[in-house]
Amino acid sequence: MYMYLPIALTSVNYLVVIGLGLAVGLLSGLFGVGGGFLMTPLLMMIGIPPTIAAATDANQIVAASASGTFAHWRLGNVDVKMGVYLLVGGFLGGAVGVQVIKLLRATGGADFLIKMTYVVMLGLVGSFMFVESLHAMRKKKVASAAPAAQAKVAAPEKKRNGFFASLPLQVYFEKSGVTHSALVPLFLGTFVGVLAAIMGVGGGFLMVPVMVYMLRMPMHVVVGTSLFQILFTCIEVTFLQAYSNRTVDFFLALLLLFGSVFGAQIGTVLGKKLHADQLKILLAILVLAVTVKIVLELVLQPSLLLAYAGGH
Amino acid sequence: MKLSLLTVVKRWTAVSAALCGLLALNAPAAQAITCEVTPREIPITLSYHGAKLTITGQTAPDDDLILKISSKPHDTAMKHYGKVGGLVWMKTGGLEFKGVPGVYLVNTTKDLNLILSETERDQHQLGYEAMAKATKIEDDKGQPAERKWFDEFTRFKEKEMIYQIEQGTITRQHGEKGNTFEIVVNWPYQAPPGIYNIDLLAVNNGKVVDKAATTFEVKRVGIIAALSKMAVDQAALYGIMSVLIALAAGTAVGAIFKKGGGSH
Repeated sequence: MYMYLPIALTSVNYLVVIGLGLAVGLLSGLFGVGGGFLMTPLLMMIGIPPTIAAATDANQIVAASASGTFAHWRLGNVDVKMGVYLLVGGFLGGAVGVQVIKLLRATGGADFLIKMTYVVMLGLVGSFMFVESLHAMRKKKVASAAPAAQAKVAAPEKKRNGFFASLPLQVYFEKSGVTHSALVPLFLGTFVGVLAAIMGVGGGFLMVPVMVYMLRMPMHVVVGTSLFQILFTCIEVTFLQAYSNRTVDFFLALLLLFGSVFGAQIGTVLGKKLHADQLKILLAILVLAVTVKIVLELVLQPSLLLAYAGGH
Repeated sequence: MKLSLLTVVKRWTAVSAALCGLLALNAPAAQAITCEVTPREIPITLSYHGAKLTITGQTAPDDDLILKISSKPHDTAMKHYGKVGGLVWMKTGGLEFKGVPGVYLVNTTKDLNLILSETERDQHQLGYEAMAKATKIEDDKGQPAERKWFDEFTRFKEKEMIYQIEQGTITRQHGEKGNTFEIVVNWPYQAPPGIYNIDLLAVNNGKVVDKAATTFEVKRVGIIAALSKMAVDQAALYGIMSVLIALAAGTAVGAIFKKGGGSH
């Protein structure tokens, strides 16, 4: 029942860890998020040191997102062109974000800013998605006349396209059926990259709303493309964490990925059976639940007032 | 004659007293304190989840016993929480605990404070009070920090199961094999690999009257040792291996699902 982890220097019940992998992998396949914002705190709860939890999590996301990307690829849900633009922006943003954190640490108060960024971003994204999806679901129930509703939705998109159309380097993204300036995904990728680096997460939960609401991509392509982008980001993170910090626990990652690769496949299948608005509202609830948890952690006194230095 | 008889009596008395004194001095020697630990080496294997340490030995019949298991003291860096703006709890600074053992497990025959004087407890670093007196705590600016942080430190370590003081846990037996003691310690898996010291102290009238010591080692073996070594010595290769295996596992499961036709 127990397995010793050579880098984390602790022993864990492997069934619990596989179960965690399965649950988070399912969310990954379902929503196109890496699940880092959920997995890292869960691992810390079972006694894994924070630095090991964050780094190893990136390693298991490589497996889960590879599995999820593969599954979505077969379903034709990956917009590689858009993914590459976002990825380039993400790498740039990640590098900028790391420097921002260094600067903040030097001036003090970085932890406070990180937590507040987390709460504000998660809260905003979660609330917006929740309200928007609820609105869309109600509309569909009330007005069975689909063309009228579609016309209303299409109107703001035209305006948006008008604004974006004025930018140079216009590119047509066949898979998503949208035209944007190459600068738009590059900029948005950089923006998410900066926030992801500051918050210490992969950025999937930020990237998904960006693709849905700002790039106006169809939800099924969003999930596949997000996983594609997360896959490459986490490959980079895993290697750097193993090479620079020696914080990747291979056995822990193996246990997690054993659960998560299956979870991702189940999530993908389940995702096909759910409506886009249902998917969005579920993700919104998840994001809001995490926000509430972080707020409670901030406001309530911790049971232990000390932690090992080196965590985040 | 009378004088010589008196002298003889005196001499006999003196010899008897000397013999009694010698016997009294030799008494502890006959009951020489011993301390043995089984096993001497705890291997950390893939299925390791702590171990059972059996510590046995002989002591004088009337002495109380204190058994301390500890690792070599070192400086430990921690972060502490504080309230920011009167509303939120954040890590607000660092603390360095100077010269504290990573692991500290104490077992006794009776209440530590009853069997050993405060001076002796301080001298032998027995109990949290004694440790607190000897431990310097510095904040980020190198200034001495409040004593309350030592209490938080022991609470933190106790939750990790690597600090513990248990009283009345050593059992004694007085029989044909002499005056023996035995204790079975549940060795916590949270304790890192390394060499640990066992100090056995015999206590009488509030003072330490005899001591014995031994050591044991907690050691990574097999695949655990190989992977730990690789992560440090060949970090790049370790990183690439971690990525490749994750990629292979992800795509392999994807392929299995495809063959099973479960994706649609």
